[in-house]
Amino acid sequence: MTTPTLPPVGDIPGTPTGGRPAARRAGGGWARAVLLRLGTSVLLLWSAVTVSFGLLHLTPGSVEDSLIGMESVSPEVRAEIVAAYGLDRSLIEQYGSYLGRLLRGDLGHSYQIHESVASAIGSRLGASLSLAVASMALALVVALSLAVLTARRARWLRSLSSGVELLGVSVPAFWVGILLLTVFSFELGWFPAFGGEGLTGLVLPAVAVAVSMTALLSQVLREGLELALDQPFVLTARSRGMSELGVRLRHALRHALLPVVTLAGWMFGALISSLVVIEQVFNRDGVGRLVLNAVAAKDMPIVTGVVLLTAAVYIGINVLLDVVYPLIDPRLRGTA
Amino acid sequence: MRPGAAPPRPRGARRVRGTPGLWAACLFLGLIILAGIAPELLAPASPTETDVLRALRPPSAEHLLGTDANGRDVLSRIIHGARPSLLAGLGATALAVVGGTALGLLAALGGRVLDEIVMRLVDVVLSLPGMLLALLVLSVTGPGVGGTLLAIAAFSIPIYARLMRVQTMVIKRSEYVAAATSLGLGRPHIIVRHILPNAFAPLVVLATIGVGAALVAASSLSFLGFGPQPPDPEWGAMLSDGRDYFALAWWIAVFPGAAISLTVLSITVVGRRLQGRAEASAAPRPRGAGHAGLTAAPGPRSRSRHDERGGNRP
Amino acid sequence: MRLHRSRGVPLLVAVSLLVLSGCGGDGPASEAAGSGEPVTGGTLVYAVNSAPETLDPHVSTQDAAGLYARPVLDSLVVMDEEGEFHPWLATSWDISEDGTVYRFTLREDVTFSDGTPLDAEAVRANLDRIVAPETMSAMAASFVEPYAATTVTGPHTFDIELSEPHAPLLAALSSAYFGIQSPRSLERGTEEIAREIIGSGPYVIEEFSPSTGITYQRNEDYAWQPATAGLEGAPYLERLEFRVMAEDSVRFGALTSRQVDAIGNLPPSGVRQAESVDGLWLTELQAPGGPYAYFPNTEEGVFTDRRVRQAFRDGIDFRALVEQLFFGAFAPAWGPLSPTTPGYDASLEEAWGHDPEGAAALLDEAGWHQRDGEGYRVRDGQRLTVVWPFVSSGAGELGDVLAVQVQAEAAELGFEVVFDTGTQGELVEKYNRGDYDLMDVSWARNDPDALRNLFATSSIPTPDHFAHNAARVSDPQVDEWLDQALATTDPRERAALYGEVQQRLTEEAAVFPVHVSTNVVAGHDHVRDVRWDPQGYPLFHEAWVAS
Repeated sequence: MTTPTLPPVGDIPGTPTGGRPAARRAGGGWARAVLLRLGTSVLLLWSAVTVSFGLLHLTPGSVEDSLIGMESVSPEVRAEIVAAYGLDRSLIEQYGSYLGRLLRGDLGHSYQIHESVASAIGSRLGASLSLAVASMALALVVALSLAVLTARRARWLRSLSSGVELLGVSVPAFWVGILLLTVFSFELGWFPAFGGEGLTGLVLPAVAVAVSMTALLSQVLREGLELALDQPFVLTARSRGMSELGVRLRHALRHALLPVVTLAGWMFGALISSLVVIEQVFNRDGVGRLVLNAVAAKDMPIVTGVVLLTAAVYIGINVLLDVVYPLIDPRLRGTA
Repeated sequence: MRPGAAPPRPRGARRVRGTPGLWAACLFLGLIILAGIAPELLAPASPTETDVLRALRPPSAEHLLGTDANGRDVLSRIIHGARPSLLAGLGATALAVVGGTALGLLAALGGRVLDEIVMRLVDVVLSLPGMLLALLVLSVTGPGVGGTLLAIAAFSIPIYARLMRVQTMVIKRSEYVAAATSLGLGRPHIIVRHILPNAFAPLVVLATIGVGAALVAASSLSFLGFGPQPPDPEWGAMLSDGRDYFALAWWIAVFPGAAISLTVLSITVVGRRLQGRAEASAAPRPRGAGHAGLTAAPGPRSRSRHDERGGNRP
Repeated sequence: MRLHRSRGVPLLVAVSLLVLSGCGGDGPASEAAGSGEPVTGGTLVYAVNSAPETLDPHVSTQDAAGLYARPVLDSLVVMDEEGEFHPWLATSWDISEDGTVYRFTLREDVTFSDGTPLDAEAVRANLDRIVAPETMSAMAASFVEPYAATTVTGPHTFDIELSEPHAPLLAALSSAYFGIQSPRSLERGTEEIAREIIGSGPYVIEEFSPSTGITYQRNEDYAWQPATAGLEGAPYLERLEFRVMAEDSVRFGALTSRQVDAIGNLPPSGVRQAESVDGLWLTELQAPGGPYAYFPNTEEGVFTDRRVRQAFRDGIDFRALVEQLFFGAFAPAWGPLSPTTPGYDASLEEAWGHDPEGAAALLDEAGWHQRDGEGYRVRDGQRLTVVWPFVSSGAGELGDVLAVQVQAEAAELGFEVVFDTGTQGELVEKYNRGDYDLMDVSWARNDPDALRNLFATSSIPTPDHFAHNAARVSDPQVDEWLDQALATTDPRERAALYGEVQQRLTEEAAVFPVHVSTNVVAGHDHVRDVRWDPQGYPLFHEAWVAS
């Protein structure tokens, strides 16, 4: 869809939809807006930490039990473990001291993997980030091409494309991963099944993550393009003798891009969901696997550390989107 | 994997017409629903009866879709799996739609403070990756169909809430609501008769994709070891279980996978048709409201645009 | 509940050889692929399903820690396949009459890879560290509970003193969990040791990550192979890599596409597929200790009646199920111990077997002779229900497929088997409370004292103490035999006592043995002389790769 069809949501007072206060409020509003944004961001981080801390402690079974695992240890060792992680204190105390350390910039130490949270996440961030960026880029490029080529084309072409897209959405990523590995690694030997450092190791996992994103993005984009192609300015452009592809790329795409950017921004934030699964299949040492094991082991510091990271990414993306919108749609410029 | 990432609906009456595809989709959905209600009527064999001597048999006249590692009939398991799978898919989506609608209405109509609180909560949930939230919920509830349902609903709710809120706000300011208000009609009446029906259409669209996404998410949870427990047949779990036997017995995984894909496809086809109808009939709705969600739902950003455009700010 | 699931490679020793190509026989599995002059150099990549969270075997609870530590850490003694002990870092040892003092003499030419020489003080530092509560040893310390002190009597001589006799001491010392680390390295913090351990072993660590695996380099100065090795000095391999591939199908695909040289924990379906792949060898490594078995709750519920237990054990054709479902890769189990455990009582084999009529008669006799509408047996209006807490860990788990099959066969006998699902935490709580009728457990340990872990009254789990007596057996006679066996170091006397225990438990049907816990290892023909550490895992001390 294009912007003209969007409902006038923002005109309703007191309805900030995101962590973004009305940046357009004129005058001294600028500084205030930044402050407000900072405030809501901190609030968001704190709530996210609290929610995950709470959920993790709701799970049945004690932390020391999952730390000890299924081994019979002497009472002295158990007591030592309990004391070492402060598990004997009340939940409120544990929460309080955790928040206190967090405020001092200390993410704490993992219960399970004998590493500080900062280094555990830090050392794995690269692998996850490179996969996230690669798959996002791949999804955007393929979705753009697909949509531009198929929008308002022959019915069979659109049906085919949308059928393939639906298939893409309805196949779980782990299956895509296993099939890709079977064909391109085990049978053809084009890509390695492990060793995620190089570019060749990135290809298959990136494709596996990108499949469902591509499918969704291209549907949204094609829809937007088809609406844009109905607009009068398209007719004008055509009458000026512009090529069909030119019309699509120069005029229609710009109008169709806004919802895609929104969707893509949100997807990027949510990417860690796919990473949890794909890193498992491709044996990549990333944040997704880290958090999967941490949830199973009730490793609170790691889980909350990752939650902080994803919440920060969420905030960062929203800021970025605010910057990007006016670039895409000139009508959004010059008001802030 | 989030249902919120829905594609936009085709607009208007363009696609409102019966096609062979639509009929096929209806037929397939009918079968699946029948399988969900009364699997005994359709299944040729018991879904749990095991026989190691006929394990891993390829599709044949006796076992149309082959047998699994336990010698169970794959077709029968798919048919019996319809109920837990639909429960996970439809149930999670229904729960998310209901919860999201309630929250969205609350935010849109409950005043500024409530709106702020609800939207902050929604932000918090959105900032947690869906799979992480699902894993946390599942480690509280324990694995199983119920837990899977809750886990998937948990991360879908905010998307519906956001969409519902935007829709409601648009409709709230529309002329016919104003007219209804001036006629002295009560708030509940306006909500039920005017706001809900009009705001609901885009939610339905989102939900059709949501069902499929929920089925896929359930499968991924099974893959991670948090899915429904044996011997319950559930499509996602069957698909996940089949991966180790893929080279030996492709049919164990491929057919449940096809069941998921066909269901998603059929629901989408039918959903589009419903959408077309809804749009055709919901005439008084402000133009474009049906699509608000697509930009508004995934991110919090839609607002800035509308701000800039000024709109009919009071 | 799978008490040992996801723990990676179980303790294992070399046993039978399933040779799919070439000729077979006992000994190193890879010998099957043909021999030749060992080649120096090259890299061997072995894919495994997990890595330990900490490399420090003194601390870790994980089976994988043993596998990962073994190339780096040497032990005082080495155990052979018959359960006999031979010199390694220690050249000789004496045991006092009363079995409470072990007097060791060390080799004098050993240095750790950080340059520190091995001496008696170093050993003392290691042993004292293992038992110190602040080490938080979750497993190793529990194997030497009566440890009192180590007294250094000379630069290379020391005494280990025990508060009471403890026959399994040497077996414990021979395991990688008691591998001797450089004392200088032990002065570092826990987190550093978790990432890098320094020992005197044939390899040194180059890089380790708990999610991707480990890379070792050859220790050029290595000149103290264990007495059981066929090689004197440094290993042939230039590099050795363990790569974590959690997904079974991916691990197997990496093997067949030659991206790795060998893999562990081959899934049963892989065993079947491997038949069609040329140039692969397969070996089944059977873990010592308890086999994979189902344990009835003898304390409470339907299984308090011996007749009901026996009916369940004899009424289900475990042997046929294991054979069919696991493609013949796993051997059936007959008793409370695995055949590879020292002291295993082989007379139990064929001592009982599938007998559905007998089982039905036993159930009738026990009062469960009526059936309800669904075909389940009832007594006094109560259904014969067996509650089995069970977590499916996801796809491909062998136990899941088997459990479903057992449920179906039990239903024919008239048992209703109910899977009680929940989170792992919940299950541990239920387990500790005794809130179950049936549990599935395997418990690997390289000593028949595993029977004490599994069946002694003191090993019955309680809400604040996890322990392994899942059958909750409390039999004074069994306890007495176990205590006596602990106090005697004479292998024959010990074996006799443990034989009594195994007979008794089988008569009582206190355990339903299912199959021997087995790790199927597969490799390409060019991988030679991989041996099997009697403590546990494939051993790469002598391995080499043919060009």
